[in-house]
Amino acid sequence: MKNNDVKFTLPMLAEPRTLRVRFRKVGNLQYISHLDLQRTFSRVLVRAGLPLWYTKGFNPHIKMVFGMPLPVGSESECELLDIRIEREMSCEEVKARLNRELTDELAVLEVYPATEKFTAITFAEYEYTIVTTGANAALAAQIDEVLQGGGLTVTKKSKSGEKEVDLSAHILSTEVRFQEGLIFVCAKLSAAEGKYISPEALITALRAKTGILSGDPTKEHYRILRRRALLADGKTEFR
Amino acid sequence: MNEKISSILKTVEKPGRYSGGEYGAVIKDKKAIKARFAFCFPDTYEIGMSNLGMRILYGSLNSDPDIWCERVFAPWVDMQEKMRSYDVPLWAHESGDPVAEFDIVGFTLQYEMCYTTVLRVLELSRIPLLAAERGEEDPIIIGGGPCAYNPEPIADFFDCFSIGEGEDNLVEFTKLYIRMKEEGRYTRAAFLHEAAATIKGIYVPSLYDVTYHEDGTVAAITPKFEDVPKQVQKCIIEDMDRAFFPENVVMPYVEAVHDRIMLEVYRGCIRGCRFCQAGMIYRPVREKSHEVLNKQARCLYDNTGYEEISLTSLSISDYTELEPLTRELLEWTDPNMVSLSLPSLRVDSFSRELMERIASVRTSSLTFAPEAGTQRLRDVINKNVREEDLMRAVNVAFSGGKTNVKLYFMNGLPTETAEDIEGIATLAKNVVHEFYQNKERPKGRSPQVTISVSCFIPKPFTPFQWEAQDTMEMLREKQEYLGEKVTDRKVRYTHHDARVSHIEAVLARGNRRLGAALLLAAKEGFCFDAWDEFFDYDKWLSVFERSGIDPAFFANRQMGLDEVLPWDVIDCGVSKEFFKRERERAYAAATTPNCREKCSGCGANRLGGARTCCPGGGARNEK
Ligand code: SF4
Repeated sequence: MKNNDVKFTLPMLAEPRTLRVRFRKVGNLQYISHLDLQRTFSRVLVRAGLPLWYTKGFNPHIKMVFGMPLPVGSESECELLDIRIEREMSCEEVKARLNRELTDELAVLEVYPATEKFTAITFAEYEYTIVTTGANAALAAQIDEVLQGGGLTVTKKSKSGEKEVDLSAHILSTEVRFQEGLIFVCAKLSAAEGKYISPEALITALRAKTGILSGDPTKEHYRILRRRALLADGKTEFR
Repeated sequence: MNEKISSILKTVEKPGRYSGGEYGAVIKDKKAIKARFAFCFPDTYEIGMSNLGMRILYGSLNSDPDIWCERVFAPWVDMQEKMRSYDVPLWAHESGDPVAEFDIVGFTLQYEMCYTTVLRVLELSRIPLLAAERGEEDPIIIGGGPCAYNPEPIADFFDCFSIGEGEDNLVEFTKLYIRMKEEGRYTRAAFLHEAAATIKGIYVPSLYDVTYHEDGTVAAITPKFEDVPKQVQKCIIEDMDRAFFPENVVMPYVEAVHDRIMLEVYRGCIRGCRFCQAGMIYRPVREKSHEVLNKQARCLYDNTGYEEISLTSLSISDYTELEPLTRELLEWTDPNMVSLSLPSLRVDSFSRELMERIASVRTSSLTFAPEAGTQRLRDVINKNVREEDLMRAVNVAFSGGKTNVKLYFMNGLPTETAEDIEGIATLAKNVVHEFYQNKERPKGRSPQVTISVSCFIPKPFTPFQWEAQDTMEMLREKQEYLGEKVTDRKVRYTHHDARVSHIEAVLARGNRRLGAALLLAAKEGFCFDAWDEFFDYDKWLSVFERSGIDPAFFANRQMGLDEVLPWDVIDCGVSKEFFKRERERAYAAATTPNCREKCSGCGANRLGGARTCCPGGGARNEK
């Protein structure tokens, strides 16, 4: 049996320290909503026995700030979460403690002191794997053409109603490949605050333009994996 | 999770209910185990995951290395539709394997209105609905939980029932299954017979003949074999300190209805409210010691990270070690920012200082259940609450800054008169009055008193088991009458749907003949009847009519004291004589002291028990 009170014996820090946690969210866990993920982490952080910093005031709570949103049904290798601790604990220790409380599909990959702000995230890189009945090199070429052609739009729903968004303007680059019966698309999409585009938007646009992925979801399906968060140059990984 | 299911998940609402992969979910190597148990909660994931009993039994079955127990929930209607379109049978949560491939499928039956969902789950699993139509390759279907105390209405669909507390008995049942398979002696019939004959609390309906009188009442329920018990006695865990305790908890990602630590403090109830089935079937009272509880709570906190601990039991104030337990808990919950809540805490039983440190006390409302509007009727139902108690409680609450009071009542109780109904409105008005009399009340605020009124349902194994339920017309009339009597604008009045209560009464007191109606209901697509949006009263009436069932025969008929009751085949520990005595006292408006004041000889002490107040039981503080 463990006892989380050990945290009370660690030396206090002069200032609360913000640590950045990079974790994956794959497999079954792609179906967990953002709200559910928040609740999950609030408990994971506690049961990992981390020396968390609590806000002062009437209703003390721990501080958690997540990076980019990720739609339900997309997977990721680069989810980011900032947490705050008030006592000394090494990043390796924090990582090990967190992973004891998580399943592999939500494993923590890295923990480090946060330096850059999330606002520096400008693009995100996604890999799409498309399984569809008529998959062949010609279809891959057609998809490539659609993506390169420009003029793609998506409707974005918000509180103020629906609006048309120029999707092509949010695509930095794409690459399409046909391999072993599957179609792969690698795309870098806008992810900056206010310009974030959901990776699902690309699927929606392709569905409208080419008719793929409109049939029986058990025969035609796709997987979206977010690989990296990128800085404004579209190359350097955000940390 | 196989790819087919995973791809459907992108097309349904709240896919997180189906995806699994929770921390704490038990995954075992299929080759290393000997029996697979599918434990089904016949409602949504969010509701099922809030059920403490399911968590306990899941843990207890999985603590045996030979058994792998998985969870099954009822998929929501959008998912059911996809499963039909894409030809996907219902799967178990952990492995994603079809439920039909399991050895044993268990259903926990928490409320009667889940019966149609049970049948839907069987159908989606492609398991024959009728026990008589299942073959050697089909799983054994077992039911348990409070509704299993009258298993007769659903007897046609179950191979067997486990009556009482299943922590140990389900493991034993599964072990027998494994043993018979290993020894090559297994056939469905042989296994069920041996289980009925050798394992306590196992009831196999097919091993009993039920005969009826011409008027439709039961003539006799007779075992077909000598070695099958005439009456099946429920199982209990005698010593709650030694009861299986699930240290490792499955942590749902999707928010469960009760998403917190639920600490079971004791089983049973010392009060004997005459309408309350839970207060009777869980007898005798058996407490856990505060030392054990504190350890268990700490362990659960360390293993879950929940920010709230809720002490659960039928009436938490009756726990004899409540003060020491609360003190010990607060010692570590406070520094860890964990809040402690004690639902249904009676304010008079607790020191003010401790009260103020307990979270539930800090919320803005107080709930109280007088159940009836006059002292006379409260005496009839043996609800030992006086108006002074209520007023004292609301005053403490008002002084503490609360303004909302919620009061629970019941319409249609035996002997109820217009005066009793009016008494509900009066009581609510008096609470409002009390607010304005209280000098320490929150300044500048006005009180809100809500009265929530349900309908009396006569339940098996209560002193009121023989009573007739009011007809729908009467219940509605009473509800309207009360509506007219509530004139105070600070009083809000809500009531249950009498139509649901009526069907519930039919299912609660039914016999095996109801099976035909339930089968027809299943064929006509009934499901989720516990959900208002799916409950359709007229369809129920039509189904009853076409299966030759008169609902009034089960709900609105005064049953004879000498009549063989459908549930007489079950022994819940409390004797029929006690229920009869209590019924008489009810009609004389005489109260019965609680079990701690004086034993009233209900018979439940026959079952044993440690840390109980029953005569002959282990001493209360024996450790
Ligand atoms: S045996 Fe006596 S003390 Fe025990 S539950 Fe029955 S009435 Fe109460």
